[in-house]
Amino acid sequence: MKEITLTIDGKVCKGSHGDTILTVARKNDIYIPTLCYLEGLTPIGSCRMCVVEVENNPKLLTACTTPAQDGMVVHTKTETLHNYRKQVLELLFAGRNHFCMYCSQSGDCELQRLAIEHGMDHVRYPFLYSDFENDATHPEYQVDHNRCILCLRCIRVCAEKVGAHTLDLKDRGWNAKVISDLGKKLGESDTCVSCGACAQVCPTGTITIREFAYRGRRSDCDDVVESVCPLCGVGCKIKAYVRTGSIVRVEGTTTDQPDGGQLCYRGRLELPRSTERDRVHVPMIREGVYYREATWEEALSLIAENFKTAKEADKAGALVSSICTDEELSVFSALFKDSLGMRRLDTFDGDILRGFRKGFEPFRQQGVRPFTAAHNILKSDCIVNLCADPDEEAPVVASYMRVAALRNEASLINVSSGKNPFEGITDVDIRLLSPCGDPCLLDSITKVITSLRMSEEDLGKGTEALNDYRNYLEKTAALVNMSVEEVEQVILKLANAKKPIFVLGSNVSKNPAVVQAGVNLAIASRAFFEDGIGIVPLVVSSNSLGTVNTVLAEEPWLGKEDLDFLYVFSTGMIPEDEESLSAISRTKFVVVQTPYLVHPLVNMADVLLPAPAWYERSGHFCTIEGERRRLNVVVPPKGEVKGLASVIQEFASALGVELGSPKAVPCEQLFGSEKAPETAQMVELEEVSL
Amino acid sequence: MAKVKLATVWLEACAGCHMSFLDIDDRILGLLEKVDIMYSPVVDAKEIPKVDIGVISGALGNDEEVHLAKKMREQCDILIAWGDCAVFGGINSMRNFMPAEEALKKAYVDTVSTVNPEGIIPGEDIPQLLPKAIPVDQVVKVDVYVPGCPPDADTILWVFQELLEGRIPKVPAEMMRYD
Repeated sequence: MKEITLTIDGKVCKGSHGDTILTVARKNDIYIPTLCYLEGLTPIGSCRMCVVEVENNPKLLTACTTPAQDGMVVHTKTETLHNYRKQVLELLFAGRNHFCMYCSQSGDCELQRLAIEHGMDHVRYPFLYSDFENDATHPEYQVDHNRCILCLRCIRVCAEKVGAHTLDLKDRGWNAKVISDLGKKLGESDTCVSCGACAQVCPTGTITIREFAYRGRRSDCDDVVESVCPLCGVGCKIKAYVRTGSIVRVEGTTTDQPDGGQLCYRGRLELPRSTERDRVHVPMIREGVYYREATWEEALSLIAENFKTAKEADKAGALVSSICTDEELSVFSALFKDSLGMRRLDTFDGDILRGFRKGFEPFRQQGVRPFTAAHNILKSDCIVNLCADPDEEAPVVASYMRVAALRNEASLINVSSGKNPFEGITDVDIRLLSPCGDPCLLDSITKVITSLRMSEEDLGKGTEALNDYRNYLEKTAALVNMSVEEVEQVILKLANAKKPIFVLGSNVSKNPAVVQAGVNLAIASRAFFEDGIGIVPLVVSSNSLGTVNTVLAEEPWLGKEDLDFLYVFSTGMIPEDEESLSAISRTKFVVVQTPYLVHPLVNMADVLLPAPAWYERSGHFCTIEGERRRLNVVVPPKGEVKGLASVIQEFASALGVELGSPKAVPCEQLFGSEKAPETAQMVELEEVSL
Repeated sequence: MAKVKLATVWLEACAGCHMSFLDIDDRILGLLEKVDIMYSPVVDAKEIPKVDIGVISGALGNDEEVHLAKKMREQCDILIAWGDCAVFGGINSMRNFMPAEEALKKAYVDTVSTVNPEGIIPGEDIPQLLPKAIPVDQVVKVDVYVPGCPPDADTILWVFQELLEGRIPKVPAEMMRYD
């Protein structure tokens, strides 16, 4: 990039060709006030706060949209500019109803901060007192149009980062108004995904989150801690605001990040709510229909006693949530696998992960990483949704897919037997005739593409390959009840795509052959990204990948036979599935360690142990964003809550077992990218049954 | 040296600004060595006399308030607008989204807690509502604006001290607040 030099406020500043004046100023620590601008969103220059004077140019220019040019002499702090900016602020205050004394965002408001910064001690214009509505139809968010300054951040984040494009602008001038869909109220919108990105970027008190407004503004908080959302495989980075020992607000990072600083409705709303849930404070032992409080020594020795007998009879097991850090999982694995030699250790989402593990294994052995960072969907020009329901499984992945399809003009191909989760924006919707766990279709498409490539390369077998191509096309068409021409369109989309990417839903992965067929197809269609093959596996939780080489069992065992002892660690953040619960309830002696009074799980416990909640722990998660992310202690644990590692250590002592140092290699090492994904070879599909 | 004469008036507002004034605590004794409060909700005077500094807290919502604001302007050399109501209209402007008649009907008839079976809206012998509640400077010239709901006691005192030093103060960013 060509370097340019300009003078801003007398300081010689370096920038790159293509930078705006604002970018160069920020790079050089020169402050220019902004209101509508947010790094990562398209600059629109609508608020006029960032106006600057450029010598030899008679007009005031908006720094956020004006390209910086070599040799420019820019002034950002003249009296004219100050007065002009102040005037803009006064007009904003006069135009709508910005009355700070009854606004929940007073103190957190960028408009207020700028007005004070500019010494606005009164407004020289008559107030309009236009009566705008306060849209309170959405159960979580509130849109008070009286406070809107039409910066359009919400509209841009919704379109550019979330891809929902729920919000837009209606009317002009003083009457311009942010609307949802085609004029519906937000609560009635069909397209809103309730992610709250609009509320996060709103500079005033227009779009607010009821609960956050009620529990305190950002400026009232004692601490802000960066951490990771544990609720799905993406593991979004979060900022948790702490006030008087509880999390009152959770926000994403900033719009300039690869994920656009998004969170989904779950991360944004469930995480802060989790600090208010009922906790298990002390160890408890069941006596008849009641529980009584016990000391850790008593509880652990009772557990050890029951465990020993069950272990001798080979009827003991342990079930561990995948929302554990790598460090915690390796301690679990060190005790149950290495020290005790137990084969019954698993995680709640074991079946899904076994499918991914087995399906990925042949490719992993080749030294390539069989998946890529989820945000690479944004770099793709053809996205295939394989039986996934990203809005449910990993809503931020759904955002990536929508943005890729709507803004980057990527093709979106949906393959599913159920409802198309991207109705209206898919290029092709392939209806499966059989349920999702069948690899035939993927295998067949792989063969079509392979033979097409062979015919194109024409290594002396062009004609044969072309015949194969036709045969497989017909075969594929028969599998999905589509015409050969329609299937050919799909094939050409895939084959001509520069960077296709495949999103694998968790329900297909229960059959490893489907995962394998998916990776084969990705290789055939040359879905190669820098960090691995273009597959995005929608695993259940933020450290599901981390369980693969620690607590994940080789074969499923839960529910196969009734056990005498079961240790269950649940984080209480993802509800336990029916099958696991029924297996747990049939066990003679159940130890449940959990932070919350999770029903019905706690009712099944013979011994109940407290555990630190997600915000009281630290360690690392291995996410499908391809990053090892750090979970930080947001609020330190209170009462008799002990760290998981120390509880395991004490349990080992009670059993009289030496706890060796953890042997499991960290997840990112397991899925290291030793070789370029281009070197990956397809593997023969074997019928692997679970 | 003769003391500076001060008058303060409480128009359409809560008592917050005057409470905040009293919140300067014992420093009020120091202030009173230099200032005579001639007219104020905290002293017993019926007419606004001729003063050096006049203070208005509250917006203008009826004809009596307009009269008092004009009177205050006539009687003082320097006029201060105290608080968001006087400066911006404040919370009183919540009624500006409907005609004054509707606001009266809401207040005296429609509210659930009101018992007024004959639906009488008081109107005789009391001040008439303006169509809208407005900031003071829409009727009279204001020399010093002190926004805040209420302004901090320190800000109020600082403004007086500046005036006593012979300067017309402008509240700096670090003291200014709108809530």
